[in-house]
Amino acid sequence: MQDQTTTKLPGETASITDDIPNGNQDSEAVKNTRTQTTIGICAIIFAVFTYFVAIPYGVSTPSNVSNIVLSPLFWPNIIAGLTGLVGLGLILTAKTKIMTITQNEPPFNFYASGGWQRLGIFAVLLIIYMASISRLGIVWSSMLAFISLALIIKTNHKITALIVAVLMPLALYAFFAHVAGIALPQGLFVRLP
Amino acid sequence: MDFLGDAFLQNIMAGFALVANVESIAALGIGVTVGVIAGAIPGMSATMAVALTLPFTFSMTPITGILLLLGVYKGGIFGGSIPAILIKTPGTPASSATVLDGHPMAEKGQAGKALGMALWSSCTADLISNLSLIMFAGWLASFALSFGPPEFFTLILFSLTIIAGVSGGSLLLGFLSAAMGLLLATIGLDLVYGTGRFSFNDTNLMGGLNFIAVLIGLFAIPEILTMVWDPSPKTEKRTKLGDNWVTFKEYKSCFKSIIRGSFIGVFLGSIPGIGAAPSAFLSYSEARRKSPNKENFGKGEIEGVAASEAGNNGVAGATLIPLLALGIPGDVITAIIIGAFMIHGLQPGPLMFVTNGDIIYGLFMGMIISSIFLFFVGSVAIRAFRFVADIPRSLLFPTILILCVYGCYAVNNSIFDVGVMFVIGWIGFVMLRYNIPAAPFLIAFILGPLLEDNFRQAMLMSGSSASILVRGPITWFFWTLTIITVVAIIRAGIKNSKTTAIE
Repeated sequence: MQDQTTTKLPGETASITDDIPNGNQDSEAVKNTRTQTTIGICAIIFAVFTYFVAIPYGVSTPSNVSNIVLSPLFWPNIIAGLTGLVGLGLILTAKTKIMTITQNEPPFNFYASGGWQRLGIFAVLLIIYMASISRLGIVWSSMLAFISLALIIKTNHKITALIVAVLMPLALYAFFAHVAGIALPQGLFVRLP
Repeated sequence: MDFLGDAFLQNIMAGFALVANVESIAALGIGVTVGVIAGAIPGMSATMAVALTLPFTFSMTPITGILLLLGVYKGGIFGGSIPAILIKTPGTPASSATVLDGHPMAEKGQAGKALGMALWSSCTADLISNLSLIMFAGWLASFALSFGPPEFFTLILFSLTIIAGVSGGSLLLGFLSAAMGLLLATIGLDLVYGTGRFSFNDTNLMGGLNFIAVLIGLFAIPEILTMVWDPSPKTEKRTKLGDNWVTFKEYKSCFKSIIRGSFIGVFLGSIPGIGAAPSAFLSYSEARRKSPNKENFGKGEIEGVAASEAGNNGVAGATLIPLLALGIPGDVITAIIIGAFMIHGLQPGPLMFVTNGDIIYGLFMGMIISSIFLFFVGSVAIRAFRFVADIPRSLLFPTILILCVYGCYAVNNSIFDVGVMFVIGWIGFVMLRYNIPAAPFLIAFILGPLLEDNFRQAMLMSGSSASILVRGPITWFFWTLTIITVVAIIRAGIKNSKTTAIE
């Protein structure tokens, strides 16, 4: 399970609103309601898209299906309908304030400075990392990815990061290739034994 | 009772022979150690540790590989209590209840006592849970042999109701997450007609999405993305262990709560999908209700730590009861372990007791041994944790990224799977950001194909007559349980919201 919990501990408060002055708690509740409504609308749009576009174009069914419940279309249609209903439920319950969202513990910091920029750079890094595995090999591309990520998250341990970046992919390569017997991509330039 | 007869003893001996070798013992020891360390590092959950360990088991024999994973699982559940007590940050959700009394004890300079009690109660509960597994799994498996597709359909439908238990703050968001998981599980060739569903004639998609890629993407990558989003160092107050260690007298005084918590864990663990966190809270609240020191709970009561840890560790063995007896994963971690069984060509379920009885009993033996390992490894870990906790996050997360890529690639030697992992990781990050729980997604992704498969098989058997879904007492039993659970969930959700609104 993910390391997040929304369980409210007895004797403790698990809400994000703990860190918010009392005067701002109402606005936080309004924000949660708005978020829930937005998620509900997105869920409905997604369900409509799935039902009218994704299923007709993405799911093929033979012409001799005897009964609708046996059709390959049946299950995806049910799930699309369920998604739409949940979306509707989210909107309705947000309006009536029944079963609204409670927050993570610890709360997600929505206001991290430079967050979007770092995420953008990291997204590009992941694409390059994936593309370079077959060309550079998994070991060398992992070394570069390690160093790049350490720099993106502004490590204060640059020398250690460099050492770990070199040693860890090599150690993992040694384990997978020589102990587990799994062939890893070597790349086009430098090949390892 | 035939399970206590000759066949049972023969199976026990065969199982013991499988485990009594250096490889298996070493796998257990390494597994427990890795689990304790992973559980003790906030941000690296037991689930993530089990998922990352999975690729290492591919080259091992089935019993060694599965024992390694079980060791990680058990170690991870205990390991979560260490940061919960020392730095008020549960290493795993299962340790949330341990924070309540563990950290106040640490603040009073009794961290060593709290950690010692956590270890003792964890080992006791673990042993009880393992014994329950040995006693009841075979019985449940023989009962399960009378299950056909309609019975399995109703059972899996009931198991899906547990999504409510892992939905956190919003039931509807849990359902939304589950719907996405169900939809993703339909990708690939249709189970009956063999036609493509969302595969767009791409050979990579025809077999469906790789389970490991989805799993790692959903749980590990969002943590890295969160770190990228906000790399500011978190202030973590570290607490000294103190000179006081738990005494036998204190253990004896908490024994009732430990036994009660263990059985609560066994009971809740044997129901698919409930998991360790609710069990820990139930055990804690029962101990509080029965204790003469009720007022001291929440202020540093050692019995509170004992009850919480007994509750969450009691689940560890019992959660394998539905896995081994019915082939149904009891929680997210056992869902990964079921993957390990499949990778090694084993299909957990009632038939496995007949076809691979030695492996089942080998696992039982291994689990008993793991309790002993847990005690020794846990004792060392309590003292050593502070060094592990000092690993800077800015080094830990790049390490996790590299482990994820190697682990994901190694499953199928597929770069496409690495791409799937990254994409699911971004979806997981959006879900994390907007409080959409990830656990229902994964549970639905695993159970979805089983649900559909059994439903359609039942329909094929009956000529599309829905009456087959209520054909006997077993189906009625699960329908009744499902309806009761759904009604209880809706009532609890509405009541909870009203209480929140009044506050």
